[in-house]
Amino acid sequence: MLASLTLTACSGDSDEPSDEPAGDDDVAAEGAEITLWLAGGDTPQELRDYLIDTFAAENPGSTLTIEEVGWGDLVTRLTTALPDAANTPDVVEIGNTQSPTFTTVGAFRDLSGIYDELGGSDLLQSFVEVGSVDGKQYALPYYFGSRYMFYRKDIWTAAGLEVPTTLGEFADAVAQLKTDTQSGFAMGGQDWRNGISWVFAHGGELATVDGDTWTSTLSDPKTIEGLEAWQSIYQTASNIPATERDVAYWDFLNDGTDGAAPAAATIMAPGWARWSLGDLTTNDAGEEVRDGMADTNKWGIFGLPGVDGGLAPVFAGGSNIAISAQSQNPELAENLLRIIFSEDYQTMLGQNGLGPGNTQYTSSLGDDEFAQTMMDTAAASKLTPAAPGWAAVEAAFVYEELFQKIAEGGDVAALAAEYDDIITPMLNG
Amino acid sequence: MADTLVRAAPVQATGPRRRAGSRTRPRSGPAYLLLLPAVAILLLGLGYPVYWQVVTSLQEYGLAQQFGQPPEFVGLENYARIFAEDDLWAVVVRSLIFCMVNAAATVGIGLALALLMRAVRPWVRLVLQSCLLLAWAMPMVAAVTVWRWLFDWRTGVVNWLLVQIGFDGYAGHNWLAQPLSFFFVATVIIVWMSVPFVALSIFAGLTQVPDEVLEAARIDGAGPAQTLRHILVPMVRPVIAIVLLLQVIWDLRVFAQIRLLQDSGAPVSETNLLGNFIFELGIGRQDFAGAATVSILVLLLTVLLSWPYVRSLMKELS
Amino acid sequence: MTAASTRRRVGRGALGALALLVAALWVFPVYWMVLSAVTPDAYLRTATPSFLPTHFTTGNIEAVVSGSGFPTALRMSLAVTLVTVLAVLVFAFLAALAISRFQFRGRRSFVLAVLFVQMLPAEGLFIAQYKMLSTASLLNSVLGISVLYTAAIVPFTIWMLRGFVASTPAELEEAAMVDGLSRFQAFLRITLPLLAPGLVASGVYAFLQAWNEFTVALVALPSESAQTLPLWLRTFLAASINRGVNWAEVMAASSLLAVPVIIFFLAVQNRMTSGLVSGAVKG
Repeated sequence: MLASLTLTACSGDSDEPSDEPAGDDDVAAEGAEITLWLAGGDTPQELRDYLIDTFAAENPGSTLTIEEVGWGDLVTRLTTALPDAANTPDVVEIGNTQSPTFTTVGAFRDLSGIYDELGGSDLLQSFVEVGSVDGKQYALPYYFGSRYMFYRKDIWTAAGLEVPTTLGEFADAVAQLKTDTQSGFAMGGQDWRNGISWVFAHGGELATVDGDTWTSTLSDPKTIEGLEAWQSIYQTASNIPATERDVAYWDFLNDGTDGAAPAAATIMAPGWARWSLGDLTTNDAGEEVRDGMADTNKWGIFGLPGVDGGLAPVFAGGSNIAISAQSQNPELAENLLRIIFSEDYQTMLGQNGLGPGNTQYTSSLGDDEFAQTMMDTAAASKLTPAAPGWAAVEAAFVYEELFQKIAEGGDVAALAAEYDDIITPMLNG
Repeated sequence: MADTLVRAAPVQATGPRRRAGSRTRPRSGPAYLLLLPAVAILLLGLGYPVYWQVVTSLQEYGLAQQFGQPPEFVGLENYARIFAEDDLWAVVVRSLIFCMVNAAATVGIGLALALLMRAVRPWVRLVLQSCLLLAWAMPMVAAVTVWRWLFDWRTGVVNWLLVQIGFDGYAGHNWLAQPLSFFFVATVIIVWMSVPFVALSIFAGLTQVPDEVLEAARIDGAGPAQTLRHILVPMVRPVIAIVLLLQVIWDLRVFAQIRLLQDSGAPVSETNLLGNFIFELGIGRQDFAGAATVSILVLLLTVLLSWPYVRSLMKELS
Repeated sequence: MTAASTRRRVGRGALGALALLVAALWVFPVYWMVLSAVTPDAYLRTATPSFLPTHFTTGNIEAVVSGSGFPTALRMSLAVTLVTVLAVLVFAFLAALAISRFQFRGRRSFVLAVLFVQMLPAEGLFIAQYKMLSTASLLNSVLGISVLYTAAIVPFTIWMLRGFVASTPAELEEAAMVDGLSRFQAFLRITLPLLAPGLVASGVYAFLQAWNEFTVALVALPSESAQTLPLWLRTFLAASINRGVNWAEVMAASSLLAVPVIIFFLAVQNRMTSGLVSGAVKG
C-alpha cells in the first residue's frame, strides 16, 4: 500500500519535489520517444494501450512506442540491439531464465536505486534473484505463469479415483488409469520442464552455486530419488514416446472431434491450456472452439501434490523486465517501470490471467478454482538455476537428452553422473 | 537456365572471341565498368560481414565482447577448440552423408521430372509445373509443419494410410524416434522442397536441345534409352552440374528444417547437423567466435565437395 | 507402324498418368496447408484425417488479415522484393556480360570469388550485418535490407545469366556492328531480347529468395512497423502464457504469403520456358 502511494507521487508529472535527476524534465520537454519491447503476445492490447496513454499523460511531450518481438527471436534481437546506443529499446521484457545471460554481461541498467520504490520485497523473489548480480537488481519480475494438472474427472471418477493428496497417490492413480490407448498421465520422455517437478518434490536440485562456481547436482541422492520417481511414472502411466517434448497435451485430453475417446486421463500444462480444453462450442464469432472446461463434472484441475502432501514445486514460467544499459532516456524508462509496477497496472495483469510481478496483487487473478490453483502452485514454484551458462545448456538440449534416456529405462545413477560431468562446465560458461 | 554455362563457354573462348578480338581491340575498361555495380554491391553487402567473420574466428568473442569488452586476439585457438569437440567429427560425417544423399536424390528426381515434363502433353506438363511451383512457393515453416503433421505418430496421415492398406504395425509408429528414420523424413521434406527448382531448371535446359538432333537420332535407330543417355543427358550436363553444386551448398548447411523436426521430438544430439552446430554455438551459447569458426569450416568443406567442379571451371577460364 | 504408334500413344498415356500422380504428390502438402487454413483449430490433428473441408470457415483468414500488421508488412515485402529483384537483375546481368563477353585481368579471380562467396554460411553473419546497417543508419529501411539481399542473391544470378549470355552468339552483334552500330547498341538490340527468358528465370529465383527470407530481416528490420511478411508470419508461431499456437491461423497466414508468389509465377511462367526454346533455336 505504501509502495503504491509512493509510486503515484513519483510517476506523476507533479510539481512535488522529487529525488529525480533534473534531466528528466529536460528530456520530457524535448519530447523524447522511448521504446518498450514486449516478448510474444502475452500482454493484451488493453494493457498496451494503458501503458501508452498513461505514459503520455504522465510525461507530457514524450511518447511510448511498444514493439512486439517473438519469443523465438528475442535473444537474436537483444544480442544485436541492446549494445547499440542509437537503436536500443529502452525497456525490454525478457524470459526469466534468459535473464542471467544478459545481466552478467552488463546489458541492463542497475535498478537498485528504485527497487524498493517499485515494490521491493513484495516482488516475486525467485524472479528478482535471476535478475540480480552481486546483490544489485537489473531485471525485475513482470509476470509469472504456473503449471498444474488438468484431468478428466469423468474418467477418474469412473475408476473410483479421487484427487490425490500425495505424489505417491498420484503415481498409483495414473498408473491404474493407463490402457493401451489411454495414458493415465500423458508426458513425453524429453519433457524435463515438467519432469523436474519430481526432482524438486523430492528435495533435489539441478545445480547449486558456491561463490561463483556452479555445480550440477544430478547425482545428489535426493535428485536421483526424484528422477527415479519420474522414470517410474513415465513408464507406468504414459504412452507418449520417449523422444517427445512440448507436446500439445490438450489434444490428448480432449474427446476427438471425430468422437474418439481421449488419449489421456491427466496432463500437466501451463494455465492457458484451459482454453484449448473442453467440449466444442461456438463462440461469438461463430467459430467452433473448446469451451474452457465448462463441464465441471467432466473436467478438473489440481496442483501436483508433494511427496508428503501439500504441493510439489513446479517450474515457473514468466518473464522479467529491464532497462537497457544503453538507453538514452533512462529517467523516462524508469518512469515507465513506475507505471508497470503501479497498483493499477499490476491489477490489470492479474485480471488478464497473468500472475502480477508484485505478489501483493495476486488476488487480482480472481478467486475461481483456476486462479486459486495458479496462485498456490506459483507460490510453490521454482526456477531453473541462474547460472551464466544456463542458456547454453538449454540450447544444446542437454536435459532433453538426459530425460529421454531416463524415460527409456536407463540407469539413473549412472546417467546422473555422466550428465553432471557434461553440465557443470557448461553452467560456468 | 544456367544450362549452357560450360557447354557454350569453351566454344566461345576458342572461337568467336578470338575473332572478335582481332577485329575489335580487347579492352578491359568496359568490362570493369560492367562489373562495377556487382562488385560494389558485393563489397557493400558482404565485404564487412565476411571480414568480420574471418577476424572473429581468430578472436575470443562472446556476449561480453558484443556488449563492449574489447575482444582478444587468440590466433587459431578457436579452431583448435572446435576441432577438439567430441561431437564435431560425428556431425561433419553425418552432414556430409546427408548432404550428398539429399543433393543426389534431389537432382536425380529433378532430372526424372524434367524428362517426364518433356514427354507428356502440354496440359499435363502445365499441371505438373504448376504443382511444383506451388510447392516451391510454400513458406518453409508451413511446409515443415505440414510434413510434421503428416508424419505425426498419433494423428499423421502417413501412418493412417499405411494402416489402411494393411500395415497395422504402423499404428502409432514414431518416425522421428530413430536417427535413420528421422533423416528419412528430413530427406523427404528437403527433397520435396528443392526438387521444383531443379526440375524446372533442367527442363529449361532440355528445351534447348533442338528437335532436329532428336529426330536425327531417331532416324539413326536410337531407342529412348539411348537417346536419353547419349543425347539428352550430355546436353544438359552443364545445368545438372550447377544445380548439383547449388544443392550441395544448400544441403550442407541445412538447419531450419532439422531444428523444426527436432522440436517435435527426436533424439537431438544424434540428429544434429552442421547448421545446428552453428546455431547452438552462435545464438544458443553466444559463442560467436566458435560459430564463425564453424562457418569457415563449412566453407572449406563446401569447396572440398565441389572441387571437381571448381577445377574444371578454372581450366575453362584460363 | 500402327502398332508402334499405338505403343507410343499408350506409353505417353502412362507417362501422363505418372506425371499427374507426381503432381498430386507434390501439391498435397500445399493442399493440406490450405485445408488447415479454412478449418477451425480444434479440428486439426484428428486421429482420422479429414481430406475435405468438412468444417469450412473463413475465420482464420479474417483473423490474420484484420490483425494490425498485415497491410504494412505486405507493403514492406513488396517494396523490398521489388527493389531486390530489379537490383539483382541489373547488376547480375551487367556482370554476366562482362565475364562472358570480355577478357580482362582478374576475370578468373572474380568468377572464383563469386563462387566461393555463396559457400559461406550466412547464419553467422548477423552481428556484422546489424552493426553495418546501424552505422549507416539503414536499420528498418528498404534500402538497407535490399543491399543485403542483393549481395546475397547476386552471385548465383551471375552464374545463371552467364550461361544465357554465353549461349547467345557474339557473331550476331558483330554483324550489327559492321552495320554501324556501337558495340553497346548492338548488344541492346540484338542480344538483350534473346536474354529475356534468362532474366525472367533469374527474376523468379530472386523473387522467391527475397520474398520468403526472414533470418536477415530479423536483425535488419527490428522495428515492428518495418517488418516484412515472413516476420509477420512468425508472430503467429509463438505460444504464450495465455494461449497456445493457433495452427489454423499459421496456415492461413502462410497461405496468404504464398498468393503473391503464385501470381508472380503465373505472370512469368510462360516466358520462362517457351522463351528459352526460342533462344536456343536462334542460338
